[in-house]
Amino acid sequence: MAGPHEILGMSRELGITTTEFLALYADNGGTTLRFGADGRCVFVTTAGCKVHPRRPLVCRLYPLGRATDGTGEERFAIFPPQPDCGAETGSAGTVESFLESQGVGPYLEWSRRYGMLYRRMLGLLDRIGVEGKVEAPAIDGPADGRVDRHPVESAPLSSWQDIDASLADYCAAKGIAVPSRIEESIDLHLRAMQEWLDGLEAQIEAVPADPEEAKKP
Amino acid sequence: MGNKKVPETVSRRDVLRLAGTAAAFCASFGFLHGSQVGGVVQDKHTQEHKAPGMRWEQAEIRWYSGNTLLHSSAIPAKVMKHLQSDVNATVEVKLFRSGQLLRNLGTIEAKH
Repeated sequence: MAGPHEILGMSRELGITTTEFLALYADNGGTTLRFGADGRCVFVTTAGCKVHPRRPLVCRLYPLGRATDGTGEERFAIFPPQPDCGAETGSAGTVESFLESQGVGPYLEWSRRYGMLYRRMLGLLDRIGVEGKVEAPAIDGPADGRVDRHPVESAPLSSWQDIDASLADYCAAKGIAVPSRIEESIDLHLRAMQEWLDGLEAQIEAVPADPEEAKKP
Repeated sequence: MGNKKVPETVSRRDVLRLAGTAAAFCASFGFLHGSQVGGVVQDKHTQEHKAPGMRWEQAEIRWYSGNTLLHSSAIPAKVMKHLQSDVNATVEVKLFRSGQLLRNLGTIEAKH
């Protein structure tokens, strides 16, 4: 698993753009990290993880797994130890102290903020589906390279997963400078997505339930 | 008053982008409806690496009281062997009294 903010962090650690990262190191529509032929994450070397300072949340949590229910209550579980895992493990300490030692705080907060956008997306999709406002599929749709088309495994499912490209477009449109710090970039990415959803929501609200009725004088 | 331009539909392009982004977030964050998961995919990959063709290697029966785990035990060897023999293998758990079926508690499938 790798969210757009985590891909940004790892990209910076490697000195490449998120566009390059997605092409080189992501699979399953840009949602998971690539595994080598030996089944290992491509970043795991004999010297350790190549992106360790910016490793994703799932790696920070391991050997713990985390789940939250609909009310936000979180639970943790311990995965069975992997025989070939070289990580130091132990049972001393608490879950809280472990999480603190792994620096998960900002990652959980980013996950929560992206989660809010995700729930909003589901709500919009539900409204579109229920109200039947989706236009019929075009036979020859636009193919300008920025549209999310039918995904192939290595291509990102959404252009929003590519933070560098998304922010380049957003900042150019707004006439503002692209931020250089990771945290600022993530904040701006969240804001850009928020504005995108605001626009979609306004568009959906503007569409009449019965377009034929709306055409009448 | 001039004619007011009224959009008739949400464009397919917008809907595809919305659906694609929701799908990407669902997969990359582990978001389900209102929940989050961390670690499941990583564990799945490592399990697959360890035992290609069979994604699990141990099965337990667990007793719970509400959310509290009371006890656990390995499932009988015969059942384990059956479930490991075929990804399509299933086991049903049913309650009987005097040979009469009272309730079907469900089906356990080898694949997951």
